[in-house]
Amino acid sequence: MIEPSRELRDACAIVGAGNSRLGRVPGVSSLDLLVEAMRNAIAESGLKVSDIDGIVCRGPDDIYGHHQQIGARLGINARFSTSLDNGGASQILAVAIASMAIRAGLATTVICGYGRDSWSRTHSSEEKRVLNQTTPDDQLPKEFAPEYGYFGAVAAHAFGATRHMHLYGTTRDQFGDIAVAFREHALRNPDAQMKKPLNKTQYHEAKEVVAPFGLFDCSLRSDGAGAVIVTSRERAKDLKQPPVLIKGFGSFNNLRGWFNDDNMVVTAAKQSGETAYKMAGVGPDDVDTAQIYDCFTYMVLTQLEDYGFCKKGEGGAFVSSGALRMGGRLPTNTSGGQLSEAHVEGMLQVVEGVRQMRHTYPAERQVEDAEIALVSGHGGNQVCHSTLILGKA
Amino acid sequence: MSESTEEIQRAPKQKPIPQPAPESVPFWEAAKRHRLEIPRCNACGKHWFPPSQACPHCLAADFAFVPVSGRGKVFSFVTFHRVYHPAFATEVPYVVALVELEEGPRMLSNIVGAKPENVVCEMPVKVVFDDVAQGVSVPKFEPA
Repeated sequence: MIEPSRELRDACAIVGAGNSRLGRVPGVSSLDLLVEAMRNAIAESGLKVSDIDGIVCRGPDDIYGHHQQIGARLGINARFSTSLDNGGASQILAVAIASMAIRAGLATTVICGYGRDSWSRTHSSEEKRVLNQTTPDDQLPKEFAPEYGYFGAVAAHAFGATRHMHLYGTTRDQFGDIAVAFREHALRNPDAQMKKPLNKTQYHEAKEVVAPFGLFDCSLRSDGAGAVIVTSRERAKDLKQPPVLIKGFGSFNNLRGWFNDDNMVVTAAKQSGETAYKMAGVGPDDVDTAQIYDCFTYMVLTQLEDYGFCKKGEGGAFVSSGALRMGGRLPTNTSGGQLSEAHVEGMLQVVEGVRQMRHTYPAERQVEDAEIALVSGHGGNQVCHSTLILGKA
Repeated sequence: MSESTEEIQRAPKQKPIPQPAPESVPFWEAAKRHRLEIPRCNACGKHWFPPSQACPHCLAADFAFVPVSGRGKVFSFVTFHRVYHPAFATEVPYVVALVELEEGPRMLSNIVGAKPENVVCEMPVKVVFDDVAQGVSVPKFEPA
């Protein structure tokens, strides 16, 4: 175990956070959705766009030179800019890289964000709707997968769910508790894609997709974007919003593969979380709210274990105790998450973590007395992970 | 939906035929002869899969494709209900499993000869070959 630098603890802050319209936003490209989120983040921060001298961002994998295109649309040059390639783990990594760049003196104010047009892409024709595939064709596997009828992210994650159920007796009913809790949160969020209540009966009666996952175990197809602005703690003091401190971050990547070792039941959240906790000087008992990368219900359960909120194998009992609901031990995905708010590859989880730490929400959306938020990002081919720990200033 | 569109959707489409990467060619050549062969390192003696041209255990580049027993167990599995490709419309529900070979490496495949509800983790399986096209055989697994 290496020691993360303590110098980064509380060195930077998030001073702006924004989202675009979410859900079904036809006729708007992923780049323009991201610019919409960035405009909102800049406007609420009190900064001018010319104050921004760094960009770390990402979009759909077939957009080459993403940060260059965003810079052109914002009309700025940047001292520091790049786009990332760690899937759903990229968005927190962007905030981490922004903090390091600021600390290294390479930039003063860095905007980070992610935008996608997955609903529009997968509904542009009947064939695309059936395939529901957002990965460019030439990047799909050509052997050891399609000949077996093995397609898509649902199946990949379902392998982990089956193995966890086998090892620990975890049940689909427990996955259902996650889906139902996040739907309750989404109903308090006017921007959320899902507007109707969900109960356990509906969860169990929904069509199976790739067992053990049914419809409500799967995150949404969404158009949408989120953005945040990172600057130094000193600079944050004079801006419009209550600054939110970046207390720590971590990253780990199980590059040997999701199908190797025990990676599908003990994810890279474990080492990523240990690093972030050390940098922040906190542990799981100090965390008041979690925003967990919920591409599928099972991924929430296993990450909660990997982050130490309960022991490995006890995630099922933990989520069924009501812990994830508002008022529970660890209100989680309080905006509805990717299962019920919108799936923007973890960027909205960063935005929600920031908003919870500002304490500007109406009471029904605010986690009471919350001082520490943990945000997780998971992705790539299920093996990349990043962690962000935010604190109330 | 027009009648012609429906006909196109009903027409049986061919399942994807594996398109071997250069490093996988010997695997598929052996499969064609109904033999399961995977890379084994001549330096450290360990097997690996999928094929690549340096040992992921010790990074030696001295290796050979060798026959393996074809026996293993189900590490994990999933059951497809959704049709992602028209050629599988008549196959659902079907099982895709991660099979852990006796020699160590894990291999994605189908479980055949068992109903999906009877497949469980740790179940012993053995290889069978499915001749899917002229000169192309795909290794699958059935209960041992």
